[in-house]
Amino acid sequence: MSFKNNWKAALGAGLVALAAAITLASCGGGSSSSTTTTTTTTPVNNTAAAEVNAGPAGNSLNMLFVTVTVCMPGSTTNCQTINNVQVDTGSEGLRVLSSALGSLDPSKGNGSGLPTVNDSSGDVLQECVQFADTTYVWGPVATADVSIAGEKASSLPIHVISANPLYPVPSSCLSLGNGGDINTLQTLEANGIIGLGVFPNDCGGACTASSASAPDQYFFCPGGVCSLPTSGVPLNDQVTQPVVGFASDNNGIMITMPGISASGQASASGSVIFGIGTQSNNGLGSASVYSVDDTGSFTATYNGVQYPSSAFLDTGSTAFYFLDHTTLGIPDCSDYSGLYCPASTQNYTITNTALDGTTTTGQVTISIANTDSLLGPAAGPYTGFTALNDLGGDGGSSPSTDMVDYGMPFFYNRSVFVGIMGQSAPSNATNTYGYFAF
Amino acid sequence: MKTTLKMVVTLLLAAAPAWATLGEYESSVSVDQQYLKGEVREQSQPGFRVHQITAANGITVREYVSPKGLVFGVAWSGHFAPNMQQLLGSYFPDLEQAERTATKQRGAPFIVRTDRLVFVSAGHMRSFHGHAYVPSLVPSNLSPEVVR
Repeated sequence: MSFKNNWKAALGAGLVALAAAITLASCGGGSSSSTTTTTTTTPVNNTAAAEVNAGPAGNSLNMLFVTVTVCMPGSTTNCQTINNVQVDTGSEGLRVLSSALGSLDPSKGNGSGLPTVNDSSGDVLQECVQFADTTYVWGPVATADVSIAGEKASSLPIHVISANPLYPVPSSCLSLGNGGDINTLQTLEANGIIGLGVFPNDCGGACTASSASAPDQYFFCPGGVCSLPTSGVPLNDQVTQPVVGFASDNNGIMITMPGISASGQASASGSVIFGIGTQSNNGLGSASVYSVDDTGSFTATYNGVQYPSSAFLDTGSTAFYFLDHTTLGIPDCSDYSGLYCPASTQNYTITNTALDGTTTTGQVTISIANTDSLLGPAAGPYTGFTALNDLGGDGGSSPSTDMVDYGMPFFYNRSVFVGIMGQSAPSNATNTYGYFAF
Repeated sequence: MKTTLKMVVTLLLAAAPAWATLGEYESSVSVDQQYLKGEVREQSQPGFRVHQITAANGITVREYVSPKGLVFGVAWSGHFAPNMQQLLGSYFPDLEQAERTATKQRGAPFIVRTDRLVFVSAGHMRSFHGHAYVPSLVPSNLSPEVVR
């Protein structure tokens, strides 16, 4: 079902590229051509404005927002423009609150909404996604034409987050217990999440497996009884990262944020630029490329201790969730659970090492300041700062569980690239599982 | 009567929590193995034993058994999280209690530290890991860091 229109668009772009390659070859003369894979595409606007601010809930920290347009497949007029969609490089696929879809909300059941992904009996595919922090979202999978900047993914499977779901969430999905359904503007702190991580889909091969071994993520609920799809969910029906659905600029993203004050700012404006090395504005340049393993992570070393496959870059993380307060020898705040309150700002130099058979290694230094000073005490008064480049917190409770989560604070004063698994990659990266570069 | 008994046993197995493992005797590992539909490998370490279950969906669960035969810790990693109700058993309500009251920071790990239970869930989409242990059951000559 999906991607029919994409094929046409991709074919169109391919023809343009081919024509360009032929023209080049005939001008250059003599040189044997291995140039057909270089992407010379019709330049589209690949730059989306992105901003960190207090967000629609009014109290968000380090959440990066963009505007996304969702249309009925094939239509350019039956659309909803949805602002305040959080950019999340730690997940994959577009998830939108049903309340933000207006008449396109498929769960209204009046036929005006987006087409859902159905089985042969007409049952609607439902998805439950639980995040590591134990919160979850639940609702149907629908297809939509999704546009951001000048880019468009046609008939893309997206996740509709239901505030009033047709069926109760299956308890089997809540593996980590019930940390709460984040299905409202106040709890999601956004109208949606656009997952722009390293993977093309939000589940992948595991969910294509039969119900005997698939994880509890996708369900059909005939008669209100939810169970795993007997023969799995094909990749084309899984919630898919919008970028891979674009006709061009579809191999990854680049996020550019300005430098900000170490004491924080009320907002910060940057860009999400689509494609890597596909246009004049998104070249890797001298960025170091860290290929990841099948968990989307690379290795970090701090103070002589290696944390294998524990590092990743996640705009969806509020803070640097870096090791733990005991290991670092700094206190957690008494008023902000799990966030750091060192007496003075601490600098940490971390060595990063690529995985997946590549050898890139390099160092970065991050700063972690006192959360109380950055935000104001939990009881108030607050500073009102929402853009913070030195907010930190526990990434585990001891070295055996610790993460090196380069959250949103890492993205200021940098250009960060997220290369998508399986898409074309620059020569010094592998695309087996994707990469981060900065 | 036999049939009824069999049915009762089946129902109990289906209602997994009663058979879960943290804080239980080693025999409960085999129930986890059934639940996870996985293969078990056993390894002896100085002062404890580890049962590693690799499930068909790629989740790896390691269960740490004290010389007294009690499961004092569990650890997991994989593209998804295993079912905590099954793994934590009688300690699952401790997790639920913490989940009801905790303030959660977006993207942060979920950490519980009480006298009864230490629990950490961390990671991101398509990559979950964590561990749980019962401080009072960790043999006194071991660091809880073995649970990894």
